[in-house]
Amino acid sequence: MLEFDRVSLDDETQSLRAEVRAFLKDNEQHFETPNSDFSTGHDAEFSQKLAQSGWVGMTWPKQYGGSERSFFERYVVTEEVLAAGAPVSAHWIADRQTGPLLLRFGSEQQRETYLPRITRGEAFFSIGMSEPDTGSDLASVRTTATLEGDTYRINGTKIWTTDAHRNHFIICLVRTEAASDNRHAGLSQIIVDLKNDPGVQVRPIANMAGGEDFNEVVFEDAIVPADRIVGEPGNGWQQVTSELSYERSGPERFLSSFRVFVELVRLVGANPAPHEAAAIGRIASHIMTMRRMSISVAGMLEAGKDVAVEAALVKELGNSFEKVIPEIARLAAPSGAGSERFQKTYAETLLLSPSFTLRGGTREILRGVIARGLGLR
Amino acid sequence: MVNEANEIRQLILDSAEKIFSSECDKKLLDAAEQGHLAEALFGTLVENGFHQLGAAGSGTDAADLYAFLQVCGRFAVPLPMAGVLLGNQWAGPIDGITSIGAFADDQIVGAPWARDATRVIGVEESTGLLKVADQFEVVAHNVSVASELQNTVRAQDYQTLEIQPHPFAQMALANVNLIAGCLQAQLDLGILFATQRSQFGRTISKFQAIQHSLAVVAAEVAAAKRAADAAVDALGDDRFVSEVAASKARVGEAVTCVAEQVHQVHGAMGFTHEHQLHHFSRRSWAWRDEWGNEFYWQQRLGQKLCDLGADNVWDFIATQS
Repeated sequence: MLEFDRVSLDDETQSLRAEVRAFLKDNEQHFETPNSDFSTGHDAEFSQKLAQSGWVGMTWPKQYGGSERSFFERYVVTEEVLAAGAPVSAHWIADRQTGPLLLRFGSEQQRETYLPRITRGEAFFSIGMSEPDTGSDLASVRTTATLEGDTYRINGTKIWTTDAHRNHFIICLVRTEAASDNRHAGLSQIIVDLKNDPGVQVRPIANMAGGEDFNEVVFEDAIVPADRIVGEPGNGWQQVTSELSYERSGPERFLSSFRVFVELVRLVGANPAPHEAAAIGRIASHIMTMRRMSISVAGMLEAGKDVAVEAALVKELGNSFEKVIPEIARLAAPSGAGSERFQKTYAETLLLSPSFTLRGGTREILRGVIARGLGLR
Repeated sequence: MVNEANEIRQLILDSAEKIFSSECDKKLLDAAEQGHLAEALFGTLVENGFHQLGAAGSGTDAADLYAFLQVCGRFAVPLPMAGVLLGNQWAGPIDGITSIGAFADDQIVGAPWARDATRVIGVEESTGLLKVADQFEVVAHNVSVASELQNTVRAQDYQTLEIQPHPFAQMALANVNLIAGCLQAQLDLGILFATQRSQFGRTISKFQAIQHSLAVVAAEVAAAKRAADAAVDALGDDRFVSEVAASKARVGEAVTCVAEQVHQVHGAMGFTHEHQLHHFSRRSWAWRDEWGNEFYWQQRLGQKLCDLGADNVWDFIATQS
């Protein structure tokens, strides 16, 4: 049965919290309109400052520019920057996903090339998984990478690629062998330089919230060196699925709407009506519980346990409730003069909210993962 | 040290499970819901010292007590075990039943099985005082939505005790742990039924609609368990009441979802008296309203956060013990 260990953060991680808050206070000019959504707010300068404090790639080995700090310490940094509503999307994927992927599967040369640059806030990465005809059914990707001597020729299209027009690199899931009966075979991950490789075109796609954060990335005879393959050619499926536990259980999976909650508390003030107090208490009761579950998963990851199902469960709960927070807040919030700040934050978050249960694995896929963990399929 | 404590707890829980597996069956639950006290089961528990869990000198602590209550919830044990255990902690150990209800107008109301109790305790919410009596008169019989006997009692004299932390919150914590166990049982029943029942030529567990319902239930059950454990871990902390508030509010919401979905998975069979599911679903429905429902605790927690102010709510959340 599913177990969430009774883990809590130790004193050392709590002292780091004060340092992060001091840093955020000093850098408030980077987020005049705070937004807790991790993929909103791409600010290379802010990410570089965070990196200079040693808080990007902080769990990685020192030889690659990391600080060898614990998962819990990273947890504190990530939850503090999100809760404050700081712009973190520039470094987020490189820190959360690319680094662990290269440490686990990358070549020594790849680690030496990319990791120090990530920890300095000089290399930002995007995720190239979805395609126009490939959404939840990830194994159906059709983008091909064909080995020609010491280069790969890439053809195909990736889509919904957050920040591809701003970031330096993308790691694509591609087919290096023709599709066979084993759908999971013949897939590989390959690094593409979005700024310098020939044959790569990035086209921003406007989203319904008025932002241009995600893109279509088209590869037309893009040529990249063969040593950009991550891990063993053909091992892409295993690598991609192992990334997901890291991706699914962090604080970004339940804090996306956090600023709406903060602004609701500000709006109702010190003497709330009973229903206003209850709305605030209800939101807090969920956030407090999800945070503990998410920290439990961080602890289990640190202990080397397989937490694929627990991570999916945290994401399912967190993403669902992130969408409920604006709904609770909307009904509880008094309208009229003085509510402008709340209304602005509410509207921004509401418009982003459809993406919460899509990115990083849809609700339907996650429920399937949980059901498998329950022995139902 | 920690591992040793965990091993002791596991032994306690395993032996409780063994007892309940053999003695707490459908027949016993039906009889209890007809008003017959599960005397033999209570005798077994006392013989094995379970009524002393968490008491000074028992070699066990409060965390063991609450973990045991989760097991009681998982078996829908038809005895007022929260009252027995907390009563023995608060007012000194006895071998009989202590029934704990709310103190109002010189009476104790909603006292489970007070008819058969040796001692009654009323919790006065406004003052946090306990009113204890071992001579009392039963003035009313009621049953909860779970068909659990609940009495109103009156005594000539009450002994007044003051304890910390607030006994209303401690009872809510006991209740949260009972519910967490009870929700786990409902999930287990849902999985069992879905993997055994066939329709359209396959077990219904193969249908995505059923898989997704039970996945949502599993998430709620996991949240309830983590919330219950978290509030237990806050014992002795100055955040205790706020943690109980978060926990009771969250677990109460989980009840609504879990009972509804697991009944739906069971179809008409789960609606029969013969099936055991209702012993669990009705208990969770009854318990979510006892010792403060969701709205009560949400409001208390919300007021606390409003007192702190918008720029301090994150700090409150992030400095959980």
